[in-house]
Amino acid sequence: MNEVVVAEGVRKAYGETVALDGVDLAVGHGEVFGLIGPNGAGKTTLIRALTGTTPVDGEIQIRGQRPTAVDSDRIGLLPQSFAPPARLTARELLDYYGGLYDSARETDAVLSDVGLTEAADSWYETLSGGQQRRVCVGIALVNDPEILFLDEPTTGIDPAGRRALWSLLESLADGGTTIFLTSHSMAEVERLSDRVGLLQAGQLVAVGTPLELIDAHGGASRLVLETDESKRAAAALTTEGFAATASPQEVVVDGVSPIDIGDAVTVLSTAGVGYDSLTWTEPSLEDVYLQLTGETFEGAMTPGASVVTEASQTDATEEPDAAVVASGEGHQ
Amino acid sequence: MSRAHRIRAEAVAAWHSFLRRRTAVFFTFFFPVILVVIFGALVRTQPTDGGLFAEPAAYYIPGYLATVVLFTPLSRVGSEIARHRDDNRFEKLATTPLSRAEWLFAHTVVNVLIIGVASLLILGLVLLLTDATVPLTGSLALLVPFIILAVILFCGFGALLGRLADSQDGVIAASNTIALPLLFLSDTFITLEQLPSWFGPLVELSPLTYFARGVRAVTYGPAAGDSYLVELGILTLLAVGFFVAGAYAIPRTD
Repeated sequence: MNEVVVAEGVRKAYGETVALDGVDLAVGHGEVFGLIGPNGAGKTTLIRALTGTTPVDGEIQIRGQRPTAVDSDRIGLLPQSFAPPARLTARELLDYYGGLYDSARETDAVLSDVGLTEAADSWYETLSGGQQRRVCVGIALVNDPEILFLDEPTTGIDPAGRRALWSLLESLADGGTTIFLTSHSMAEVERLSDRVGLLQAGQLVAVGTPLELIDAHGGASRLVLETDESKRAAAALTTEGFAATASPQEVVVDGVSPIDIGDAVTVLSTAGVGYDSLTWTEPSLEDVYLQLTGETFEGAMTPGASVVTEASQTDATEEPDAAVVASGEGHQ
Repeated sequence: MSRAHRIRAEAVAAWHSFLRRRTAVFFTFFFPVILVVIFGALVRTQPTDGGLFAEPAAYYIPGYLATVVLFTPLSRVGSEIARHRDDNRFEKLATTPLSRAEWLFAHTVVNVLIIGVASLLILGLVLLLTDATVPLTGSLALLVPFIILAVILFCGFGALLGRLADSQDGVIAASNTIALPLLFLSDTFITLEQLPSWFGPLVELSPLTYFARGVRAVTYGPAAGDSYLVELGILTLLAVGFFVAGAYAIPRTD
C-alpha cells in the first residue's frame, strides 16, 4: 500500500483527559478511510492531529512530511461545526476560499458538484441547514485536494442531498483522492469506506474493511419475529434447533441463513403461532459498532432485538440489510 | 503575487461581510458623528472658562478621530477573531496557504478603509459644525500615515484581545474597558494640565498619546510650531510591534 497518511503512537491529552491514546494508523493513496466511534472518542482530535491543527505526541506523516509542512494546496479539510462568514453567498464563499490557494477549481464546477447551482447567489445564512453543509463541503473541495479530511460531512443534509454527496465522494475516490472521513452514519461509512477504524476512548480498537469487521464482530444474521405469542414461538423454534430469544413482543432468531427462513415459517405454522411480521437482517457495521463499543439502546429487551429495532429508527436513510419477508396475519 | 491574491481574497470577504451587517455599518459611523455633534456643536468649546473643552475647537480633532481609530479596530478585529474561533474558521484557514500575518493584514486593510471614510466624515463635521480651522500645510498630508499607523497598532491590539477573551461578548467588554480610559487619558480631550502631576508619566505609556499629539501637530499645531516626527517614529515602532504580536496571537490551532 502506498501510504499517504501515517500515524504512529499518536497521543493527545487535555489536562487529565486523554483524547488520543497511542493511535497507529495508515491510509493508502486513493483509499477512503472511515472513522467511527462514540461522541468524545477522539475522532475530531485525530483529524486535527492529522491536519496539523493541534500539536500531539507521536509521529504523523502526510505524504512523508509533517502535517504542518505539507503543501496546503494538496490538503482539503472540512472541520466539525465549521461555519463560514454568514453574509456571503455560496458563490462568494467558494471564490473567497478558492482565492486563498495558488490554484483552485472553477467555482461553478464546485457549485454544480455539491448541487448548489440554483442557490449560488443566496447568502449562506439564508440557506437551509443541508445546503449550508453542502457549501462547507464545496469549500473543502475548492482547491481540488489530493487528501480530503471530512469531519462529519453529511450532518444535517437531507437524504437526497446526502446521497448526492456520497456519489460525489465516490467519484472523487475513483479519481484517486484519498479521503479520511468521520461519521455517525454507519450506512454512510459502510457504503463509502474501503476501510473503517473504530475509535473508542482515544484508542483505535478495530481496523479493517467493512466486511472484515462485520465478519469478525457483527454477529450472525437473524430473523426477527413480531408477535404477541413470543414465548410459544420461541419454544417452537428452539425445539427445532433454532437459537431463538423471546421478548414480550418479539422473537430474535440468530444464525438464520436465507434458505432457513422457509423452515422457520413452517415451524411457526405447524405450531399455530401467529405473527405480525418477519424480518431477516444481515449484520451490519452498526452491529460492529454496538458490539465493540458496548453501547446499547434504551429500552432494549435483548441486545439482538434492540439492534434491529433501532437500526430502522435511527435514520431514514440508513440501509440495514433487512427485508420484511412475510406477514403473519394469514398464519393465525 | 499569490500572497497579494490571498490577502485580496480575505480582505474582499471581510469587506463584504462588514458592509452587509447594516447595524455595524450604521453605528461605526454614527458613534463618532454623535460625539462631534454633542461635544463640538452642542457643548461647544469655551476657551476662556477653563475646565473641560476649554481649548479651541481644533485642539480636539485628535480626540474625535481617536474614537474611530481606537474603538473600531479593537472591537472589530477582536470580535472577528472570537467569531472565527467559535465557527472553527481558523482551523480551516490553518490548512490553507493564508498565514496569520496575512489574515491580520487583510483585516487591517479593511479597517483602514472603514476608518479612513469615518475620519473624513469626522473632519468634515468638525469643520462644518464648529469654528475649528485646519491650516492647509504640507504636513497635513501626514494625517494619512498617522491614521494608518494607529489603525495597524490597534488592529494588532484587537488581535491580542481576541486571543485573550473567550467570547465575542468578552471582546466587546474588554475593548470598551480598555478603550474608554485610553480615549480620555491620552492627551486627547483632557490636557495634561488638568490631570494630577503624578499621572503625567502614565499618559506617556498610552500608544494613543502619540497619535493624538502627532495629529494635533499637523492639524492644530503648525500655528504653535509643534513637532510631529518623534510621535510619528514612536507610532511606527508601536504599530510594527503590536502588529507582530497580534499576528502571533491569532489562534491557528487549539
